[in-house]
Amino acid sequence: MNNPTNNLCLLDRTDAVATLTLNRPDARNALSIDLLDALSNRLDEVAQADNVNAVILAGAGRAFCAGMDLKAVLDEPGAPAQLLTRIANVTLKLRALPMPTIARVNRAAIGGGCGLMCVCDFAVTHDDAKIGYPEVDLGVCPAVVAPWLVRKVGAGVARRVLLAGGTMSGTRAHELGLVTSLAPSDSLDEEVRNLAERIASGGPCALRATKEWLNELDGSTLAEQVNRGALISTEVVTSDEARASLSKAFSR
Amino acid sequence: MIRVEHIPVDGDDQRSVAVVTMDRQDKRNALTPDLLENIVNVAKLVHAGQGKAHAIVLAGAGPTFCSGFDLSLCKDDPLVMPDLLTKLAAAVRALRNCTVPVVAAAQRGAIAGGCAILAGCDFVITDTNARLGYPVVRLGVSPAISSSTLRIAIGDGHTRERLLDPGLISGAEAARIGLASECVETPEQVLPRAIELATNLARKPHHALVATKRWLNEIDASNDSDLHNAALQASLAIAGGEEERQRLQAIWK
Repeated sequence: MNNPTNNLCLLDRTDAVATLTLNRPDARNALSIDLLDALSNRLDEVAQADNVNAVILAGAGRAFCAGMDLKAVLDEPGAPAQLLTRIANVTLKLRALPMPTIARVNRAAIGGGCGLMCVCDFAVTHDDAKIGYPEVDLGVCPAVVAPWLVRKVGAGVARRVLLAGGTMSGTRAHELGLVTSLAPSDSLDEEVRNLAERIASGGPCALRATKEWLNELDGSTLAEQVNRGALISTEVVTSDEARASLSKAFSR
Repeated sequence: MIRVEHIPVDGDDQRSVAVVTMDRQDKRNALTPDLLENIVNVAKLVHAGQGKAHAIVLAGAGPTFCSGFDLSLCKDDPLVMPDLLTKLAAAVRALRNCTVPVVAAAQRGAIAGGCAILAGCDFVITDTNARLGYPVVRLGVSPAISSSTLRIAIGDGHTRERLLDPGLISGAEAARIGLASECVETPEQVLPRAIELATNLARKPHHALVATKRWLNEIDASNDSDLHNAALQASLAIAGGEEERQRLQAIWK
């Protein structure tokens, strides 16, 4: 608990509901290697905790998550691979949590942030939130998070969302099935809390057995595909095309 | 039979949208073995990087996108239906395997084989009152050939409904179930919107877009040859049979 890195992801608990909060508000919770390590440690803690029956994943400050912190790793050899391997591992761990998970998405869930949102069993946001996978616009390939989107919304919609790039409103994300429900932005906390408490009122054994079966049924337990996705994303992000596109985007 | 026009993107003649138009207007672009082979060839040329196309629009000339197989070819020759089915499967797969994204401009009608082609495209633009579907069980033909691609596009429940029910659905309903990605108000708006979308896709960094499509093809089983061959075989098993012969001949009486 004294590890300063762990402050990048906070863990709170009220009754049977645990809340994990991405805590890099100055960087709109961009997913750095350290933040993903902190989240990974917290996921281990939650997985072993007694009497936790639902988990909320939230972002501190003004936005849920701005995506992968590519800027920090681009010029360091080997760092993009480390970052993408970590997001692959964290998504597998988040999905494998035995209790249901809810993403509380305020303002924005972009790229890898949208990836984390779609790994959760539920997601709640507001109508004017900014949601999506703009990776291809930046010369980057969202391969590492693609399998989770396919499971969430089906292959047909996933294809269109990932190839078209850009972002969409919370309303559109709800229509397409990326998001479970919409709440007014000033009552997002209350809505998420109510949903978490309703879910947590279920029998712990029944919830765990059901989630475990759903994970098996839709291939969520198979690490190979997500790990291969991480390799493909790494390959593309280190290409000249991606470097040129990202440098241009970062200099804006 | 097929026209290919390259539209340069932002004046760059090294980066274009290829508009591939099926052109048999007098037959509402009914599919023949030759026409299907032409689609395969164009998709393969783009796949091989020739012509600098970074996105494809598949269009149908005239008022209607495609009315399905040219059944007049089948009435006297039981070997034509199996040939059409085999070549349709090849065309759908060639569009899906093509490295660049494919946008279908399906105005007014995409019937039977015409609708099957849509499931090979990455995006489908249609109009609110268009008619889409697979009415082929009425002809004694099995649309099982489309099952493998349709399950990927719209899921198991909708696939079952669409392949067993010979009725047609509207463009609006096609957008609701995911058979179409977008529905515009009028048939005249379909092609311009498809070109606009394809142009936006063609502007994106090429390597990332190609890698993303290739990976999607892998994770959703689009490139699983065994699966697609099994679907084709299920249709071929009854193709050219007695029920089909009787029902097709009834059309020409």
